[in-house]
Amino acid sequence: MLSSTRGAPYDIAQQDFDWCAVQVAVQRYIRGRGARHDIADDIAQEVIARLVQLTREQQIASVFALAFRIADNLLMDMHRRESRLSAEIDDDWRSDEPSLDRVLDSRRAIDIFDRCLKRMPQLRREVLMRRRLHQESCRAIGEDLGISAKAVEKHITRGMIDLRRALDHAGIDLVGQD
Amino acid sequence: MGHDMHIRNRQAIDMQAIQWIERLSRPVIDSAAAADFDRWILKDPQHVESYARMSALWQSDGLAAALHDPATRPAASNDDEDACDAPRSRHHLMRRRTVQAVASLCVLLVACIAVPRLLVTDRIFATGHGEMRTVSLPDGSTVRMDGETRIAVRITPWSRHVALERGEAFFDVAHERMRNFTVDTGRAAVSVLGTAFDIERVDADTRVIQVYRGLVSVEAGTGREWRLPAGSGLELSGERVRSLKDVEGDRPDWTSGWYEANDTPVAQLVQRLNRTAPKAVALADPALGELLVTGRFQTGDARGVLDAVAAIHDLHWRETNGSYLLER
Repeated sequence: MLSSTRGAPYDIAQQDFDWCAVQVAVQRYIRGRGARHDIADDIAQEVIARLVQLTREQQIASVFALAFRIADNLLMDMHRRESRLSAEIDDDWRSDEPSLDRVLDSRRAIDIFDRCLKRMPQLRREVLMRRRLHQESCRAIGEDLGISAKAVEKHITRGMIDLRRALDHAGIDLVGQD
Repeated sequence: MGHDMHIRNRQAIDMQAIQWIERLSRPVIDSAAAADFDRWILKDPQHVESYARMSALWQSDGLAAALHDPATRPAASNDDEDACDAPRSRHHLMRRRTVQAVASLCVLLVACIAVPRLLVTDRIFATGHGEMRTVSLPDGSTVRMDGETRIAVRITPWSRHVALERGEAFFDVAHERMRNFTVDTGRAAVSVLGTAFDIERVDADTRVIQVYRGLVSVEAGTGREWRLPAGSGLELSGERVRSLKDVEGDRPDWTSGWYEANDTPVAQLVQRLNRTAPKAVALADPALGELLVTGRFQTGDARGVLDAVAAIHDLHWRETNGSYLLER
């Protein structure tokens, strides 16, 4: 009744990636997300194992995009396990998606974001909110706000650069300590 | 100067990284762009670092919380949200909740590989009048559809998305860590992991969501989000929100031909009947639709239900050529 999501077996040669390069990039990626070295190594290894498996079954257009996404998931799983150990969680808002980034979710970081967002033109704030919170497409946002999709993208880029700079100025580094 | 050059260079890379994050968070990207991304990543180790940091920033709950903050939010309208959280420090609680709901949606935001069309299944399922049907999706989830219901399903290696275009459906979702499962009802988007829940599109404005297992997050635009655990539900009607308690059993009554009304407007009951009744149930006066009824009704027996409703509110009903007409 339903067609399978699996394609026919692919030409192996075509799927022959440089796994070493991928592994190094994934390690770097996880480190950049603030995880410790040993964790980055473990996760990178696991990511490669899963990727190898996936490439046997599916054709993958962007190995790195998929690798980073798997890494995000594994990192999330790890934090979930860790947060189970910490007891004092109120049942009412217990979440199975714990915070990935202690630094970026801290009260202090939120205050910095708040201030930075307030300084932005309202249009830019609105664009960020719609894209980030509501996952509206750039085109839909542009149509609603009467600007081009390209202009929407520029607002996002500009806004994120401002946010990053605000963190830098406050001396908050996105990379965690070992 | 060396230092300035360095800063400017880093900023240029950050800008590219953000553009990639934005592009890769679209539902589908073409394979040429996907290949470009791989090349970009391989070109310079700084690219990965920047991409990682900007991703962390983009996905962070902290940013989501700040964007949610009423002080920075352009238009705030959250009158009825306390329907869902009773006493306590309301603002604080709401905020934390929203933050977590957002976190679960982040999984969607990172969706990003492009694949040939054959890896993507697009299917539309529809039931006719009086027809009930269970469909199983390629990921192992099942959807039980009531009469006059239509769903569009899109399953990709990185996402599972269903649009409930009309009617009512009960979703039993296969748990998958890698792929989020989202149901879009036009007004509210529902995001889940491994759960069983029911969604009804009552009319253009009204959505009823009931959760039987697991945890569901509901997003209704303008920053309105809720997290519903098993046993609870939500009725969204325009800007109004009503929380539903006592969602019992492991699936909704309608799947076995019953409808449990609990201070439910007659119009809602009539609509339910009209998915299966041999003749359309009509109201002589639209105001009758606002009367409330409570009780367990067998939806396969429209005449019996009308008898009961007539008895409760001292009304009458009669059979015409094309309909059952309920009147005073």
